[in-house]
Amino acid sequence: MLTIYHWEPNANSGKPILAAYEKGVEFESRYIDMLAFEQHAPEYLKVNPNGTVPAMIHDGVLVPESTVMMEYIDGSFEGPKLRPDDPFERWRMRWWCRYFDQVIGPSISMFGWSFFVGPAMRMRDPEELKARIERIPLKERRIAWSKAIYGTFSAEEMAESGRRIAVGVEQLEAALSERPWVAGNTYSIADIAGFNMLAGLPLMNPQVVNDTLTPHLLEWLRRINERPAIRRSFALGRTELVKRYAHLDRRNAAATGGEHA
Amino acid sequence: MLELYHWEPNGSGLKPLIALHEKQLEFRSHYVDVPAFEQYRPGFLKLTDETRVPLEGEGPILIHDGRQITESLFIIEYLEDAFPGRSLRPAEPILQARILAWARFINEVLMPAVSTLGCRAYLAPKLKGVDRARLASLLERVPMKYLREAWQSAFDNSYPDELIEDSRRKVALGVRRLEDALSGAPWLVGSSYTLADIDAFSICNSLPTLTPELMNASVTPRLLQWLARMRERPAVHAALALSRTGKPEQAFAPGPEHSRWG
Repeated sequence: MLTIYHWEPNANSGKPILAAYEKGVEFESRYIDMLAFEQHAPEYLKVNPNGTVPAMIHDGVLVPESTVMMEYIDGSFEGPKLRPDDPFERWRMRWWCRYFDQVIGPSISMFGWSFFVGPAMRMRDPEELKARIERIPLKERRIAWSKAIYGTFSAEEMAESGRRIAVGVEQLEAALSERPWVAGNTYSIADIAGFNMLAGLPLMNPQVVNDTLTPHLLEWLRRINERPAIRRSFALGRTELVKRYAHLDRRNAAATGGEHA
Repeated sequence: MLELYHWEPNGSGLKPLIALHEKQLEFRSHYVDVPAFEQYRPGFLKLTDETRVPLEGEGPILIHDGRQITESLFIIEYLEDAFPGRSLRPAEPILQARILAWARFINEVLMPAVSTLGCRAYLAPKLKGVDRARLASLLERVPMKYLREAWQSAFDNSYPDELIEDSRRKVALGVRRLEDALSGAPWLVGSSYTLADIDAFSICNSLPTLTPELMNASVTPRLLQWLARMRERPAVHAALALSRTGKPEQAFAPGPEHSRWG
């Protein structure tokens, strides 16, 4: 049996969910409310001692890391292939997954945490927050949560994240102007990772991602947004978060285009 | 045809050298003197959209039938995908997943830390004679900001105490995890020698020299035995023998960026 512990179906949590639905694999969904710090609660630490979300258990075995989970799902179950057969395209898939994981993703999260998570958190009891932070197992995550909650990302850090997003978007636009999918001619886990990281950018950074500057990137997001698997993935959301992706619906895009015309 | 552009057999450059020898693949070796900035000289390889964006610092480049492949762990995964004979990767998906999970930890925690400590110890003294204006003009050709800053730190020999402290913490964490993984098993993943051993060995081979207080017979006995087992392999021996300096464990160039989150 496959169980996925996840928060809202976007960013890292969205990756194994979308990969499983694309593969046609049914799984048990366990929603972990990150804003209620359920990921650091003792019950969850029994599942994943690192206290990170998502986590995936297959037949009693923990599969680590959201990008690795996607490779695992593709390798373990029957269904449509989510990794290219061609070794070079497979290399390109891994390269882009690393670029999303190490460079673009953390920069986008910094914006997300700074604007959404931090303000929501600061409305809570300060003593309780302090206790919550202290029980986070990984030092890196303790620092990240402190910075998000107390709004201590410096102006330089935010500017650097903005710069990285702009550079990454430019590079992805160039790649998608040469081929339909990130790794090549086939839809792969690099597209799943990219969509989950970047789908909010046309709203969050419209000066960087828009129909004039990045037509191929937007077309790619819209194409993925139309896949049946993403509908099922979004249906697991419990907050307003996935509603942000309504802008990818072509009918809404046409309406917006009309207003500007 | 296979060609590998690499520097000394240490760190990221060592991984493909070991894998190529293990798989007994013929390749043409191009030795690139990284501290002399040969990889930035005019007329060096014309890179692609992906390969001109290094995510692991100064790493090796594999060329297979004209196609460029970078990122050392992904190079050895590529060799497995393209040349499945003499496999170094188990068939079970969970074991493949564990190799990739080790790779993520090694690339994001261990490699940045080892590289910082190694560059301070060995690269910084090497750059002392370089003219500041010449360095500035060389750095203009370095594509990524984190990489330019790492070269600048080595040139200025300026490493904040917190960075050194944090790097030591990460190395200690890494060797402890490796030591734990090797308790009761001769290799890191499953019951046989895999890409994960090549990945970790390439980063750890310098540690008994670089951080002897963190890796020694009393603190990490199993890790040292594993290191010795690795060095006995003919492929590892052949890869290390490609050193031109005779001291590959002292060859350091900027590696992957430290996580910006903490």
